[in-house]
Amino acid sequence: MAKKNGKGMYAATLGLFLLGVGYLMFVGLSENTMPFINVSEALAMPATDLKLARLFGTVREDGLSRMADKPGVTFLLEDKDDASKSLWVVYEGAVPDAFKPGAEVIVEGALEEAAKAFRAESLMTKCPSKYQKENRG
Amino acid sequence: MPLYPTASALLHINFFISFLAALCILARLFFDARQGAVPASGKAGAPFPASFFSAAADWSELAISGTALLTTLASAILLYAFVSHDFIVEYVAQYSDTTLPLFYRLTAFWAGQDGSLLFWAWSVAVGGAVFVLLPSFKAVSERTRLWFCLIFLCIMGFFLLLLSLWSNPFKLLDFAPQNGRGLNPLLQNPGMIFHPPLLFLGYGGFVVPGCLALAQTLSGKLFATAGEQAESPWDQASRPFILIAWALLTAGIVLGAWWAYMELGWGGYWAWDPVENASLIPWLVASAYLHTAVIGSRRGKLQRTNVFLISLTTISAFFATYLVRSGVVQSLHAFGSGTVGAPLIIFILAFLYLSLAAVFCAPAPGQKKPPSALAALLCTPLLAAFALLLASAFLGFNAPSFAIAAFVLPLLLLPLLYRSPNAQGQPLEEINTKEGLLLLVAWLLLALAFIILVATMWPVIIDTLKAHADALPAFISARLPKNPSGLDAAFYNQTCLPLFALFALLLLFCPFRKWRIAEGASGFTQPKAAFAALGAALLLAAGLWALGVKNPVALLAAACSLAAMLGIALLFGSNRQLFSLKSALAAHGVHIGLLMTVLGVAFSGPYQEQHTLQLARGQSAQAGDYQVTLNQLYEGEGPAGPDGNSNYYFLEAELLITDAKGGHVGTLSPQRRVYANFEKQTYAEVATRFSLGKEIYATLLSLDSDGKAALTVNVNPLVNWLWIGGTLMSLFPFLGLRRVRRVRSDAPEESLADSSSPATER
Repeated sequence: MAKKNGKGMYAATLGLFLLGVGYLMFVGLSENTMPFINVSEALAMPATDLKLARLFGTVREDGLSRMADKPGVTFLLEDKDDASKSLWVVYEGAVPDAFKPGAEVIVEGALEEAAKAFRAESLMTKCPSKYQKENRG
Repeated sequence: MPLYPTASALLHINFFISFLAALCILARLFFDARQGAVPASGKAGAPFPASFFSAAADWSELAISGTALLTTLASAILLYAFVSHDFIVEYVAQYSDTTLPLFYRLTAFWAGQDGSLLFWAWSVAVGGAVFVLLPSFKAVSERTRLWFCLIFLCIMGFFLLLLSLWSNPFKLLDFAPQNGRGLNPLLQNPGMIFHPPLLFLGYGGFVVPGCLALAQTLSGKLFATAGEQAESPWDQASRPFILIAWALLTAGIVLGAWWAYMELGWGGYWAWDPVENASLIPWLVASAYLHTAVIGSRRGKLQRTNVFLISLTTISAFFATYLVRSGVVQSLHAFGSGTVGAPLIIFILAFLYLSLAAVFCAPAPGQKKPPSALAALLCTPLLAAFALLLASAFLGFNAPSFAIAAFVLPLLLLPLLYRSPNAQGQPLEEINTKEGLLLLVAWLLLALAFIILVATMWPVIIDTLKAHADALPAFISARLPKNPSGLDAAFYNQTCLPLFALFALLLLFCPFRKWRIAEGASGFTQPKAAFAALGAALLLAAGLWALGVKNPVALLAAACSLAAMLGIALLFGSNRQLFSLKSALAAHGVHIGLLMTVLGVAFSGPYQEQHTLQLARGQSAQAGDYQVTLNQLYEGEGPAGPDGNSNYYFLEAELLITDAKGGHVGTLSPQRRVYANFEKQTYAEVATRFSLGKEIYATLLSLDSDGKAALTVNVNPLVNWLWIGGTLMSLFPFLGLRRVRRVRSDAPEESLADSSSPATER
């Protein structure tokens, strides 16, 4: 009943397993870590650091326009705390329901230096399941 | 209106009942230990304070029923406020209005934070009150019962404190507004109505087994299997709670995914959002426990591991609440800035400390049990947490940093308490036996939970590391990103999906492995069926590759899950008696559900097609293999509400779908809705053409000034297998509720039960 090799096998398997999981995590973390920043922080960064980033901000009322021939939207993303800081965002694709002026949104994409605009691959609005209370108006 | 202040007072009183009862039990355990007396309810001859606490502790089970009753009353008052449109209550004004149908008004109970915490407390309280009445609770020793009541009342007390101070649903407004703000239209959907309560019931259900496991450990009965010290093991006594909680948690998660798919209109069902991850972590830990529990109950091994995993499940359920409520991940820069975040994290640390201490201090078989005073001392952090919370609430000092320091430091002392360096359980069988593979599955589940936890907290971890960059070694601080950073869905898909695919691979041969392999014998119970399944997997992989499935993870997952289903069918086919073994049916049923889910994810993830179309009336466009024609566009009004007005009006597009040969596939009618009270915003109501193969999924995005409708049409292959599999996983555990006889480790090796893998069998 005494398993002499048993313990060694468990240790070896656990070692291999942890190595595998560690490797997956290391690769995943180093490849996918991207800046999660506010608009003001993005404006203070060199454009080369914004090849892939997630930006948080609110949608400004002026400048908001829907694309004519396809679903999509162009708008000014305003810093949550500093209304004087804003950045143009171009997004092509289905616009979420909760998207409207004043809405808190999260965009993910890259800064296009030539166009001086942030090209968003995804546009998310805050999810109601987070039980966020709306600002009392 | 004195009703709502009364309800508020009920919550306060309820907190004090739990708190005082917990104190009395703790004092009694302490005095009992000092006297060295076997605790008996008789108080004869005991000096004053001891006799007082002993008498008071006798009421502890009644205190649990009392808290359940008071929480039920408070919940009833909140429901009454919703039904009677009492907008003076801030919570009611916030989440309902006069047009909301009765059904949604009742379910608005858990639409916000305060109400959902009350629901949480209510479900935990009722679960506990039911449990203390059950014969399985009466069957454990008095000391275990006292410990159970102590830990349970601490948890109840904590949530009642949250409800009384930081998250009171009975806060009143200065004046009653004419109408409420209404329930967010996205929450007006059956999926969203039942998703939160199922999750809360799932989280809450694990509180009873978690408390009982710790209670039995702390009372020194964990390893007492024979003689007068023995009592029925905790996992047996709380078995229905474990299985029902797991099933409800599964149902809650699947329903949440289904809601996202049907209501949000983006075509996906899982975005690896922190809130979704929060519910997955307890599920993974609980599932890991279910696998080591089989080794525990069938082979009498890994007892400490089981106690730790079930209390870790309870802790991770608290953590899930923390993650959702505190705003810690959303707001990135603040640690626990939400009102309930700091108290929750203090409580989680205290409970983690208690669990670790209990597990480390559990005496091994044949060892002298530790003095109760020591165990009672270990429990004091929980009560200290209360004291600290009360102090921070009333005196207003900064609790979090102080509390974290106060609890992390004692954690460092834990190794000193490790009492049983020589106490080793029975050695495990070799790793290629069923025992070893079950452990491997548990490792895999825990690894997934760990990865998801780290990834979800990654922004916080990076921030914390950066704040202390000076103290870190250079090779770490140099690698830290300059800005606040996080991870997106790509990380999870890349890291977690391969691990999920491994479950299908393991299920290919796990059901056929023996518990113990004799020298020179085959390791399979039914070698022919096992090799047939393995062969099928290889053939399927080749076939799918030829059909164009080139994504390696999808290929592995699809081939293995189909072949593993075949394997389980062969297992049952060759051993008809398995059909009569309820717990085996339950375990294999859950696994079939899991395999269907894996199959659904393997295809609907990487092989989804999304087409964005712009169509005028009568116009057609191609979407993959299908032709989409916009037949009609019309407006309408939803059904009338209680006040005679409709809750919403809509724009509907009628789409005709035909296949490549022009054959009729179906008509889809996606809508765009505008809800009363939410006029500024439109909401999508998606339409789907159900199919077990490729499901067509249409969303109406907008209508431009030329009358052209913007639509997205998705083709989602095999997505419905996910819902079917999820449903099976939520239902099959109920088959295993009934307790079956304990199979001892000396049972004949090739017994009937051996060929099953009853994750739940005793």
